[in-house]
Amino acid sequence: MWARALRVRFRTPLDRGRGFASKAGPQEKVQETGQGTHSPRLALQGADRVPAAKIEHLERLALVNFGSREAVARLEKAIAFADQLHAVDTDGVEPLESVLEDRCLYLRSDNVAEGNCTEELLRNSHHVVEEYFVAPPGNISLPDMVNKTPSPTAE
Amino acid sequence: MLGRTLREVSAALKQGQVTPTELCKKCLSLIKKTKYLNAYITVSEEVALKQAEESEKRYQQGQSLGDLDGIPVAVKDNFSTSGIETTCASNMLKGYIPPYNATVVQKLLDQGALLMGKTNLDEFAMGSGSTDGVFGPVKNPWSYSKQYRERRRHDEHGDSHWLITGGSSGGSAAAVAAFTCFAALGSDTGGSTRNPAAHCGLVGFKPSYGLVSRHGLIPLVNSMDVPGIFTRCVDDTAIVLGVLAGHDPKDSTTVQDPIKPLMIPGEMDVSRLCIGIPKEYMVPELSSEIQSLWSQAADLFASEGAKVIEVSLPHTCYSIVCYHVLCTSEVASNMARFDGLQYGHRSGIDVSTEAMYAATRQEGFNDVVRGRILSGNFFLLKENYENYFIKAQKVRRLIVRDFVNAFESGVDVLLTPTTLSEAVPYLEFIKEDNRTRSAQDDIFTQAVNMAGLPAVSVPVALSNQGLPIGLQLIGRAFCDQQLLTVAKWFEKQVQFPIIQLQDLMDDGSLVLENGKLTSVSLT
Amino acid sequence: MAASVLRLIYPGRRWALAWIDGGSRQRSGTQTGPASNWARGQSSVAQLSLHTAQKPRKGEHKWAAVVGLEIHVQISSNSKLFSGAQVCFAAPPNSLVSFFDASLPGTLPVLNRRCVEAAVMTGLALNCHINKKSSFDRKHYFYADLPAGYQITQQRLPIAANGHLTYSVYMGKKRSQMATKTVRIKQIQLEQDSGKSLHDDLRSQTLIDLNRAGVGLLEVVLEPDLCCGEEAAIAVRELQMILQALGTSQANMAEGQLRVDANISVHHPGEPLGVRTEVKNLNSLRFLAKAIDYEIQRQITELESGGEILNETRSFDYKLGCTVPMRDKEGKQDYRFMPEPNLPPLVLYDATSLPADADSQQVVNIDELRDMLPELPSTTRERLVEQYGILPEHSFTLLNEVGLLEFFQSVIKETRAEPKKVTNWVLNTLLYYLKQQNLAVSESPVTPAALAELLDLLDSKAISSSAAKQVFEELWKGDGKTAAQIVSEQQLELMQDREALEQLCQATMDSHPQVVMDVRNRNPKAINKLIGLVRRASLSRADPTLIKEILEKKLSL
Repeated sequence: MWARALRVRFRTPLDRGRGFASKAGPQEKVQETGQGTHSPRLALQGADRVPAAKIEHLERLALVNFGSREAVARLEKAIAFADQLHAVDTDGVEPLESVLEDRCLYLRSDNVAEGNCTEELLRNSHHVVEEYFVAPPGNISLPDMVNKTPSPTAE
Repeated sequence: MLGRTLREVSAALKQGQVTPTELCKKCLSLIKKTKYLNAYITVSEEVALKQAEESEKRYQQGQSLGDLDGIPVAVKDNFSTSGIETTCASNMLKGYIPPYNATVVQKLLDQGALLMGKTNLDEFAMGSGSTDGVFGPVKNPWSYSKQYRERRRHDEHGDSHWLITGGSSGGSAAAVAAFTCFAALGSDTGGSTRNPAAHCGLVGFKPSYGLVSRHGLIPLVNSMDVPGIFTRCVDDTAIVLGVLAGHDPKDSTTVQDPIKPLMIPGEMDVSRLCIGIPKEYMVPELSSEIQSLWSQAADLFASEGAKVIEVSLPHTCYSIVCYHVLCTSEVASNMARFDGLQYGHRSGIDVSTEAMYAATRQEGFNDVVRGRILSGNFFLLKENYENYFIKAQKVRRLIVRDFVNAFESGVDVLLTPTTLSEAVPYLEFIKEDNRTRSAQDDIFTQAVNMAGLPAVSVPVALSNQGLPIGLQLIGRAFCDQQLLTVAKWFEKQVQFPIIQLQDLMDDGSLVLENGKLTSVSLT
Repeated sequence: MAASVLRLIYPGRRWALAWIDGGSRQRSGTQTGPASNWARGQSSVAQLSLHTAQKPRKGEHKWAAVVGLEIHVQISSNSKLFSGAQVCFAAPPNSLVSFFDASLPGTLPVLNRRCVEAAVMTGLALNCHINKKSSFDRKHYFYADLPAGYQITQQRLPIAANGHLTYSVYMGKKRSQMATKTVRIKQIQLEQDSGKSLHDDLRSQTLIDLNRAGVGLLEVVLEPDLCCGEEAAIAVRELQMILQALGTSQANMAEGQLRVDANISVHHPGEPLGVRTEVKNLNSLRFLAKAIDYEIQRQITELESGGEILNETRSFDYKLGCTVPMRDKEGKQDYRFMPEPNLPPLVLYDATSLPADADSQQVVNIDELRDMLPELPSTTRERLVEQYGILPEHSFTLLNEVGLLEFFQSVIKETRAEPKKVTNWVLNTLLYYLKQQNLAVSESPVTPAALAELLDLLDSKAISSSAAKQVFEELWKGDGKTAAQIVSEQQLELMQDREALEQLCQATMDSHPQVVMDVRNRNPKAINKLIGLVRRASLSRADPTLIKEILEKKLSL
């Protein structure tokens, strides 16, 4: 019976498992699962630091600042974590975009059924003029704002 | 009354033994009494009382809308509720009042349910503890239970060692566990309903992806999110699911198949069942207590004649990595709309649109959210897209295939743990960062989201410390009814005890039906 | 006929800007004859106003220009691509905006069937392969008029691909020969339009109106097979007519229903392609041609003086007539395309793959749509040539001028005169007058009915052709008089009385013995002089052909 086999396996000493506070820190994720499964490699700490230009690039694309060295370190760990994917053999495997990929997309009839709710929409905005949403002028590039010259690779 | 099942209460309402207003007031009072749990962000007292009044009229006229008419429910604060603040526990949406109801909320309201309030969560549903929201962490009601206090190892006084609920739908879990409502909506992207359900001793149900509408659910990962249901018993879940399931023209990811009314039979022939045990879920970090319970549960099925076999889901160890890439990428995309222009927080910085956006997002999002946005954008960069995002999508297909293969080998339902351990104290939980915790805690649950399968966490027994432990059942896609049938049978066998909340028992708010509770002790 | 400026050459061969003739083309306004009227939206004939361009230096190498176009077409539908808000040009700000269009959290896209049909029909009309399975993607960038922070488009798997658009250009020095050219279509994709930003410089703010946000667009991507502004304008005009014939878009450039971005580079034939620039915001055919030609020349000049071309986005400044760099969209852009997770793939069917129990509301059948395609401009032109015996270039003009075909067909319907005559009067006379005063066909003071009446009079020989011209001139004044009234007022009727005419001829002969003598002496010009004299005597009310006949009879010639 399966259950008996499981009990046998369980007799090996185990971590008390309240959470997973390994001394090596969150970077290492060791999962020694049962026999015959792949084991992800340990990611080396400090490998592949993200260059400053890329950091800046990301901040501009996301309009979110890292703000600290820790945040950059978190990104590096996230990348290292994600790198474990490369151990998987995905030759000939199609990417899966949606579990509903075999289903038909629902089509709506061309009727006017929404809109005409200007008041409701404007109500939630902090800055409104007449019936318009208001944005600050133009899109001045952020590097100019901090008096840095745009990088020559900008073009 | 508060400890009864939905059907029982509904019957009582019909017979006039209790009125919706009485129920409502009782729940509101309990909410106040258990305020220290911090389960609710918004208590919609006026709205609920008004709804109770209308429900009462209906009952008086003998025209109740159904099993949910007059029943207090709560909704996680990432569901849009018209006219009621919806914050996602984030500064970004503090003060945001949506002009529409999420489809699932509307369905509940159309059935006459009473909306008690919006429950607390991790900010934008990112987290596994319900500790990272701007309104503070949610406390697990079991921290204050007689069962826990009598048996916990350390002899602490005071409140400093309260336990987390798990997450991210911890508020909804706490709300149901503390009897402030009969059912609550959560969301489940990687286990956010099942995880807190296990930690709070509740039934936490994740429907098949595409069965229940996501319109109005503020998304975390669109391709994996589903609305989740918390109740105190499987029957109640079935009632709620019956109301919520079905095609929504406003959500193109709901399936168009007609839904048969949900009927969970009282009896089930277990001998015809095949239970699968995924061997890769046997990880060293799993607590011995849960292991033992898992094993006993397998025995239980076997002893009733079910076929219990070991199956393999070989890509299990990669699923958390895959989830990490796909989740952060979608988060990066979904959060792009928060710029302060049409709604939500808006920074005072006004020099340029870009500057305003950047400042708004800096001020509005917490570290966790910002961190995921940055990671996600990294994976979506042109030069990384193939290596990370597409790669993750391919691995996702392998994971889905693993499940398909397992089910095709004759398995009806998979049996696994829900969590690695029982609920941990908050102080211990916060020693690790959010991403690490999520990666650890979601280990048994998020592969299910990647495959879009239905799953349910059923409370099984109390740990040595007197804390709830739940086990997870996973079903085939769109076989939610079968899954619930198995869950109901299982629940009946294990007879999980009712939480004995000290102060509620003391003041007579909570009256136990029997003087003593019995349960089939599995420990 | 106007002198040619551009000898249209196939790409790869010598690009010759014949600047020598440039001067003569800069006369504004006057253009005669149909051959020089290549199309331009609703307004009168464009000229390549090259006064801002420079002359090339002598002895330069040959340059070839490569032009690719991205054309955004607003789909003609009641509601938007992914939401049920109305599509309408002018409306109070933010009144045609649904919760989804405003990107309220939790809202989801739902695809409009009509937009799918419009895309398929356009793809079929442009000879594209229709992808039975296509998908949607998110294209991320931040902009005030893009509430979600991303646009939903079809980058990887568009709905249609690999088609071609055929158009005709006038070739040769006299631009009298027509040649057919083809530009390949890379793909057609469905995507969302953005909202509108109105810059309020006074108060240093931008006003955002989301009425247009989410309106369905077809992006038609042309391969860089074009080589100059004129070709581009002609190709776009043809596309415009096709879309209007299909009904998939009104394609009105002035109202922003059709917008063109041009990608332009220059290189020496045989060498690799040059760096390209993108020129945006071209909202009329005339400016499209102008901007492209300016940019081509700018690049040539820049490269010839040792400079380099930056891969940048530029905008056309109408007032200055030149392209300028756009400051707003600088910096390395990475759109981080990602599949739209809220929209499963779009599957289209044809007669063979249609499932038996399909809900007709939920399936789009390519074959069904193909059968429903209306007559396309190229077919219309062929039909006109065949039906009315007109020249191909005339059929082009008839279609190119907005409203002219309808005018023409109205006249044909109401007159007895033969089509050739109608063609002549419509294309030569009417159009000439319209161009003179820069009027659209719809603004013509002469209605089809009026012209038809005039032609009837001419046809029945009630008036002479010169009289007819006079009548037309009078009609043009728009005083409300009919042709018949004008004829009678000005006494332009041809003499119907043959006997009276014979008498007049005789009288004229009698009073001009010298001329008669010349005629008898076989002086070839004399007969015409005599005819002229009779005409004058008749106050131009005699048909010259008849006069001639009578005179010849009298003189026994």
